Amino acid sequence: MPAVKLYGNLRRAASAAQVVIAGDTVGAVLQALCADNAALAAAIFDGAQLRAHLRVLVNGHDIELAQGLDTRVHAHDQIAIFPPIGGGRWNSVQWAVFSIQSTEH
Amino acid sequence: MHGWMGKILDIDLTHRRVTTRALDMDIARLFLGGRGLGARLLWDEVGAKVEPLAPENVLIFAVGPLTATGYQTSNRFTVSTKSPLTGTILDANSGGYWGMQFKRAGYDALIVRGRADTPVYIEIKPDGVTIHNAQHLWGQRVRATTQMLGQNNHKRNVLCIGPAGENLSRIAAIMNDGARALARGGPGAVMGSKNLKAIVVEGKERPETLDQELFKFMLYETRKLLRASPLTSQALPEFGTAVLINIVNAIGALPTRNFQQSQFENAEAISGETLAEKYLVKNAACWACPIACTRISKTDKVEGEGPEFETTWAFGAQCGIDDLAAIIEANALCNDLGFDTISAGSTIACAMELAERGLLDSDLRFGRADLLAPTLEAMAARRGLGDDLAEGSARLAKKYGAPELSMSVKGLEMPAYDPRGMQGQGLLYATSNRGACHMRGNMLSLEVLGLPKLIDRFQVQGKSAFVVLHQNSAAVIDSLVLCKFTNLAVAEEYFARALTAVTGVPYTTGDLIRVGERVWNLERLYNLREGFTRADDTLPPRVLNEAVQDGPSKGWVSHLQPMLQEYYRVRGWNENGVPTSGKLKELGLDCL
Repeated sequence: MPAVKLYGNLRRAASAAQVVIAGDTVGAVLQALCADNAALAAAIFDGAQLRAHLRVLVNGHDIELAQGLDTRVHAHDQIAIFPPIGGGRWNSVQWAVFSIQSTEH
Repeated sequence: MHGWMGKILDIDLTHRRVTTRALDMDIARLFLGGRGLGARLLWDEVGAKVEPLAPENVLIFAVGPLTATGYQTSNRFTVSTKSPLTGTILDANSGGYWGMQFKRAGYDALIVRGRADTPVYIEIKPDGVTIHNAQHLWGQRVRATTQMLGQNNHKRNVLCIGPAGENLSRIAAIMNDGARALARGGPGAVMGSKNLKAIVVEGKERPETLDQELFKFMLYETRKLLRASPLTSQALPEFGTAVLINIVNAIGALPTRNFQQSQFENAEAISGETLAEKYLVKNAACWACPIACTRISKTDKVEGEGPEFETTWAFGAQCGIDDLAAIIEANALCNDLGFDTISAGSTIACAMELAERGLLDSDLRFGRADLLAPTLEAMAARRGLGDDLAEGSARLAKKYGAPELSMSVKGLEMPAYDPRGMQGQGLLYATSNRGACHMRGNMLSLEVLGLPKLIDRFQVQGKSAFVVLHQNSAAVIDSLVLCKFTNLAVAEEYFARALTAVTGVPYTTGDLIRVGERVWNLERLYNLREGFTRADDTLPPRVLNEAVQDGPSKGWVSHLQPMLQEYYRVRGWNENGVPTSGKLKELGLDCL
């Protein structure tokens, strides 16, 4: 079963910093993790989506660059969840990124 | 006069002469203050033939038009000089209280030139400037010197060097307010070479603000944004900058054992979470700062400010050490001796690898936390092997026959992000004007934190545009002078509006970014005049040629060359990295 490790203030909402949870996608694992923990669910999810700027890595690779919550996981995979450590009014670099990426679609 | 004070203080230590002159307001509008003003003044003052530790080098301390206005984080200041570590243009940046007080003493900049024949300290007060005998202070550590000179955070502020600077260590810092540091590039050695022990300031003036109503509104808006951001309102206050240890390690970009690996198996033991749980007493803030990221940590042996992320890494993963108490104590010792913690830790790591390879006769080995303190003491005193380590890793590694084992660029040790795990960060390090530096525009936000969107950290093509924007933005923030953590939550348009409100000079966001670009290009011109070329825009061979062996970055090296070619084009430079005449004219630098 994949191991889930929580960081920062997410640890306060959970019973342990690291747990092993069954699931074949990241989304399934996180749903199971939050099943009986409303505080943790509120810290991780915003409705059906992940909270903005929460970072979820599988074996060190961000799921945003994979299949998001549908990213498949396997036994012995390490899932790491980092609380939002960003946000606020975009600075000029962030606007530039947004505009560069927008023109690519 | 609004924002700026309109005066530069000029102290000649050779002739013990104190003069003032008017700040050139055309230069002030183009370069603002801080790093920008320092670079522009240094261009005129210190040419290519000047040795960094000669009396002809100068120290330029500078504040900005927002300093001491009360705008959030408007406490910071800079020092500019020619670096004794790298030979490049150097500016270093510090927080605390000294900068605010210096502005309140009535000046925008202080130029210190020459060399006193015996140790002195300078006292700047409302009733005048005095050069005092400092022989009773010479040899004292930073904390003792600061106390002896009457440090009072809000009224009287002390800037000084410790034994490291007195003994001309090329990685010596200038310390202010006891534990804040103008750290990188060895400015402490320049100050020591002038026999200048300390500069004490008291002030009572306040910079004038032209449009009080607009300024108050900008304060209000900025306060809202800082409170709304999880980084500035939660993560940094609660865990400090060390909150980054775990995430940078998790992605496989935390350099370990002198960049031999990119993940540290005991990262958790030296993380911000562990620091908060076991050693944190409280957090603290610089003047006018609501973020309060400063740690006050306590072990059995020390209590004081720090450690920050970079320090925790430099004495931690980089040295293969997982003893957080020993790291906290090493940080405290660096503050008291007056060392740059990044260069000190990374130089020790270089020595550890040299010793393990049998190239250096020493007990230093990766993981030897017990040797951190004795090694630092020996470095400050230039005793035994400490004499070699005090020169920094580039000169150390070269002396012992393995220059490739210095993890540095242009002689400045690389900070805590492995370019093989973050391609854009490698380009940033290679092109930074003062040597490898993460504060010239950290790619962490785009390549790791996803602000505003995640960019593939292994992507090579297209990275240069973001690096250039980051560098320009960081340069203007260093010229305002504000803390870059504000920029994590507050856009430059707010800084532009605040600056316009204070000074009455209309600045847009584009104007500010152009200031940053101007400063960057001037620094580049300075280095070109010193003889630096495209060949110096590079990375250590390990990062270019040795693929990461394990972890999420396995198989990667830095693909610098294609990024560099693209970077020069984006910058408007030729293929040799020289700004074109068109670019210089566009920035108003063609007159230089």
